[in-house]
Amino acid sequence: MAKSTLQFIILFVILVLVQVIFSKIMLFNVATPIIFIYLLMRLPIGLSLTWLFTIAFFSGLSIDVFNNTQGMNALACLLIAAVRSKVFFTFVTRDDDSNIIVPSCKSIGTGNYLKYAGTITFVYCFLIFFIQAFTFHNVMLTVARIVCSFALSLILIYGIDSLMTTRREKR
Amino acid sequence: MNNLLQFIVKHVPWFVFIIYVVISCILLFSNNPYQQSVYLSSANGVSASVYETYSGVTSYFGLKAVNEDLLKRNTALRMEISRLQKELKNCKLQIPDTTGILAKSEGDYSFVVANVISNSVAQPANFITIDRGSDDGIVPEMGVVGHNGVVGIVNVVGKHSARIISLINPYTRLSCKVKKNNKFGTLIWTGGDYRYATLTELPRDGKYNKGDSVVTNGYSSLFPEGIMVGVIEGEDKEMSSNFMAVKVKLSTDFSQLKNVSALHNKMRVELKALESKDNNPSGAKKEEKK
Repeated sequence: MAKSTLQFIILFVILVLVQVIFSKIMLFNVATPIIFIYLLMRLPIGLSLTWLFTIAFFSGLSIDVFNNTQGMNALACLLIAAVRSKVFFTFVTRDDDSNIIVPSCKSIGTGNYLKYAGTITFVYCFLIFFIQAFTFHNVMLTVARIVCSFALSLILIYGIDSLMTTRREKR
Repeated sequence: MNNLLQFIVKHVPWFVFIIYVVISCILLFSNNPYQQSVYLSSANGVSASVYETYSGVTSYFGLKAVNEDLLKRNTALRMEISRLQKELKNCKLQIPDTTGILAKSEGDYSFVVANVISNSVAQPANFITIDRGSDDGIVPEMGVVGHNGVVGIVNVVGKHSARIISLINPYTRLSCKVKKNNKFGTLIWTGGDYRYATLTELPRDGKYNKGDSVVTNGYSSLFPEGIMVGVIEGEDKEMSSNFMAVKVKLSTDFSQLKNVSALHNKMRVELKALESKDNNPSGAKKEEKK
């Protein structure tokens, strides 16, 4: 337990730092990679909701502090934390083990994982870019940003997940 | 009562959730950048040091363009010096005593040079973080200029870092004038392309052509008069029958920003005191009664 907590904290620091740099990127003026939500996806499904919300709030807030977007990422993170287990059980059938499961390609299969991660990433991109734009001014640009950022982020998150899994297998 | 307690205990996580959501909504909707705490902005110690490390690596990337810019600026300044020297010579021929002319120079401003450690151009509200803070003499509400013109206004100041509200931020309103005919307007940025802003509230009676320079007008104590802001790119939409708006191409390239200087107006305290006196006629009356 302590080992996985430590691992999680290291992952948290790395992902937040990388995200700080990634937030400055906007490919072709439409695509921003968002990877730090991988943290929230990776938390065990059975984790108590209080912990989940606390982690979500503070990880979002830390990104906000760096990007001068106060409250925006924190709010979006909280909302995806709230829908996370609902999304998970839409794609994975509930059984006795599902409470200790850590969602990854290995544990629930690549197809299911992509559906799960995809839904959460999409919800997140949708929230972030609509909070950011706030009005429906220039809807097309906002939609393009949502779709492109979603695609880019999902690819990167899939990549990170396979990295995490192969490393564990080697051990 | 028992039921209520049970209900609360059962739903503790959701109460936590609601509290967090309320906190983030308060942060999100109280989005007045002028009243933010240092700890929640990029000027705090941790994020400043992270950005400093990051910019230490990336600051080498755009040096060629920066160099070219500086060279151009240098040449322009040299030309200006030679022109002014010639003018001074002419003046000396006409008026033997030039002390009156020399005393009225731009001596009211001193400046602090700083490196940009974080910058954004793609957000709806953009901010810049620099690596100088209160220890180096930076205070809130200093004007900030780059090699090519106005950059923004200092807003939150930490010990060794400060956050600037960029010119490309909807909260910035900069009073400017068209250099050619001295018509005043307000420069705003409403989002979209970071290279262009809009000069609004321009009087309708002036003529504005593509390529006319837009400079600061020196009415605020933030910037001295005549600092370059941009050039007029074309006429924009009509605002009302008396005023018009033009599109301005900003002279500062915000995506390449590396070094800036924060301007300190030595007269600012005095000016502020004077302004607050003007705005408070009731206070003045009270003094008269005494």
